[in-house]
Amino acid sequence: MTKIIVNGREVEADPQKPLIAACHEHGEHVPHYCYHPGLSVVGSCRICQVEVKQGEMPARVVAACRTPVAEGMVVNTESQGAHDSRRECLEFLLKNHPLDCPICDKAGECTLQDYSFQEAQAEGRTSEPRRKLEKRKDLGDVILLDQERCILCSRCVRFMDEVPKSPQLCISGRGSHSVVETWQDAPLTGNYQGNLADVCPVGALTLKDFRFQARVWNLTRVPSTCSECSRGCSISVEVLRDGEVKRMRPRPNEDVNGYWMCDHGRFSEGELNRSDRMGPAAMRNDAGQLKAADPHDALRVVRNLLSIQSNALFLASPYLTLEEGEAFSQLAKSCSTQAAFFSPEPNELGDDVLHTGDPCPNRRGLQEAGLKPMDSEEWAAASAAADCVLLVGERLLDMLGDEALDALPTAQRLVVMECRTSNHPAIDIAMGVPNRVERSGTWINVDGTPGAIRAARSAPQGVRTIVDLLESLTSASGQPEEALSS
Amino acid sequence: MTHETYLLDRSKLADSHTLEVARADGAYGALQKVFESSMSPESVVGEVKKSGLRGRGGAGFPTGLKWSFMPNHETDSRTRYMAVNADESEPGTCKDRILMREDPHCLIEGCLIAAFAMRLDAVYIYVRGEYRLPYDRMQAALDEARAAGIIGDNILGSGYSCEIHMHKGAGAYICGEETGLMESLEGKRGHPRPKPPFPAGFGLWGQPTTVNNVESIFNVPFILARGADWFRTMGTETSPGNFLCGISGHVERPGVYEVPLGISARTILEDLAGGIWKGRSLKAWFPGGSSTGVLPADMLDTPMDHDSVKAAGSMFGTGAMIILDETASVVRSALILARFYEHESCGQCSQCREGTEWQEQIINRMLSGQGKSGDVELLVDLSKGMFPGKTICALSDAAAIPVLAAIKHFRGEFEACISSPEEILA
Repeated sequence: MTKIIVNGREVEADPQKPLIAACHEHGEHVPHYCYHPGLSVVGSCRICQVEVKQGEMPARVVAACRTPVAEGMVVNTESQGAHDSRRECLEFLLKNHPLDCPICDKAGECTLQDYSFQEAQAEGRTSEPRRKLEKRKDLGDVILLDQERCILCSRCVRFMDEVPKSPQLCISGRGSHSVVETWQDAPLTGNYQGNLADVCPVGALTLKDFRFQARVWNLTRVPSTCSECSRGCSISVEVLRDGEVKRMRPRPNEDVNGYWMCDHGRFSEGELNRSDRMGPAAMRNDAGQLKAADPHDALRVVRNLLSIQSNALFLASPYLTLEEGEAFSQLAKSCSTQAAFFSPEPNELGDDVLHTGDPCPNRRGLQEAGLKPMDSEEWAAASAAADCVLLVGERLLDMLGDEALDALPTAQRLVVMECRTSNHPAIDIAMGVPNRVERSGTWINVDGTPGAIRAARSAPQGVRTIVDLLESLTSASGQPEEALSS
Repeated sequence: MTHETYLLDRSKLADSHTLEVARADGAYGALQKVFESSMSPESVVGEVKKSGLRGRGGAGFPTGLKWSFMPNHETDSRTRYMAVNADESEPGTCKDRILMREDPHCLIEGCLIAAFAMRLDAVYIYVRGEYRLPYDRMQAALDEARAAGIIGDNILGSGYSCEIHMHKGAGAYICGEETGLMESLEGKRGHPRPKPPFPAGFGLWGQPTTVNNVESIFNVPFILARGADWFRTMGTETSPGNFLCGISGHVERPGVYEVPLGISARTILEDLAGGIWKGRSLKAWFPGGSSTGVLPADMLDTPMDHDSVKAAGSMFGTGAMIILDETASVVRSALILARFYEHESCGQCSQCREGTEWQEQIINRMLSGQGKSGDVELLVDLSKGMFPGKTICALSDAAAIPVLAAIKHFRGEFEACISSPEEILA
């Protein structure tokens, strides 16, 4: 490590990283556009100017992203010269920027906006006509490009080149005629396009999915973990005031996902916002209809079922957390059986960037909790032989499919704890549970790294947590019914 | 006036570009001398250092010193290159094309001596695409020299081997910037690279590389043949030797003249170029290409060497003088240059990409009678925001400097555009 002085404080800096990284690491923010810690450094936007003094040389203003740290270097990020250079740079960047912030999705999280407030003069001095370029350039299914807003930082170009290693974007034209484009306007492809909207420091590259959906200052951001594969990318779940999940974005985590996530995970919010949520409890009545019931009644019936069963099958959704897995395992043990979790086939999305292809976000955690993986074939055999089946956790009904439930023996009792409603005739008792943005817990990823999931909103009214439901069943299982009803 | 010449002497012979004529005139004698006198590469670098030769590409950096930046070959076994910058694109500059067209063998000889001195594996000559005849002459000379055993393996039986390759540019000014040139040579867009790392440590394909101007390399055989002391008899103490002054604009005899450094600009203009054309008087002059700040007529006695022109508030640059007579509009010439830089900016850095466009827009507006009060101040202010050292390469500086110099010396002309637009339009 190299010792340098940043704004009067002596700090240790990694000599392998540029000066700007050292400043950021020690809490001294230096404005930047083209610099991104997850991409190669080009040093072209020239906003990251700081004052540096080395040895006997007079202090000079340099681009912090292209300056290597050197022992004894004295850095002042707030000197007048540095502020002046940054203000000048911003004036150039704003010269052709359309300033359509009121209708720009990036407004509120746009660093051109932020640094302009922070550094720039309040009034523009240009009276020249601004560049007229394409405002709505379609770059495929995910991204829309507004060339007028672009400040040509080339982060998007470098992202495609360096992360998915799929060079599809380029800056064509020269000088003030430069624009970001794809070759012959071909649509972008691949599973990592969504990151382009994150790396874009301005509103040039926006997600079609998020366009005009929300003002970002109305979103509540909750750190969580992605559910769509066993990589378990660190993410931020962003919900609007009414609780709708509007966006999921990667959260930097060097150990797991760097700065990125795949589109498959990013756009999995649709299922979280579905309105057909299972109520607290429903039971099949004498007329054969599944009707809302008192959850206490429903739990009592489940307890009875479990106490009289001789061959019960306990199957969890792969989305159960470590804590829920342990509770489920306990319950199975108290009924003298072995709990399992459904293990779907690997999908074709696996790649050498992030996606593992294994749809179970907590395979390792559930195995640690004592659950054994069960594939479709094993399920078919085990469920045919069981006299009672308990299915617990979100998306399990979808994963098993209606045909699997159709095939269950008619005499068998089926208890389902799910997020969504189902009217399948095989179901005897159904209880609602929170989905993955309504509960907290831990998933353990493919490398054994724990990833916390955190509730970003409350569960539907009356819906109890899975751990709560399972523990109340465990504590009572095997005991006589009279003791419970009191 | 008379003075000793050497750079253009051979070009006066018929068919000077052929190996036969060049050799009869002593071409490759210096190379032979280096080999026969068993000079070490280090002593060749030493001789060039001692000569005080300064780069002729614009910056005037000492050539021998630049060569000595190449890493030690004993501790760094990477392939070593030199790129000869023949992308002569600075407006006004037209000296390298004469050298390549008329005396290609001298450049080849210089390249081989430089290659020996820096222990290079190969040399690339990057010629601007428009220089068709100079390129063809260079290529023909290379072929002739190769056939004669002067290039390739075991050069002139010395045991030393080096290849020289030609490369044609595609007409971008920015490819004359040394790192832009290297990117272009590698087959990429000519986007200058941030420094550090410097070319001597990380150049072509990441290998140690030196980039030199054609005229700089062209001086080398003469220094080795006749000695550094001889070289220092010409020019000034800090800028020794002769240089090629390409003089253009409103003069009677525009052309390329060989003169010693330190000669006054007036001597070049009046004695060699025949003075201002049509009997008119001088208004302004650029000392060394369009990127060097314009100077007024009363500074014509400035000696043409690096330090004197710098002291006069401009730059020696490539030594290409551009002359404007009394009828010329300095504002219009500023617009022409602003257009050039706007067109040639690579677009990486914000200051250059936006600043060059903005300069062009303001000056253009002023010349269309649409100037506003405050425009001149804005032009000065934004140009100051473009340099020094705020961008990856010096194109931004090159665009800002001429505008600032023009306003410094001819502010009245700019202000007249705003106060009396009718005169401009008339």
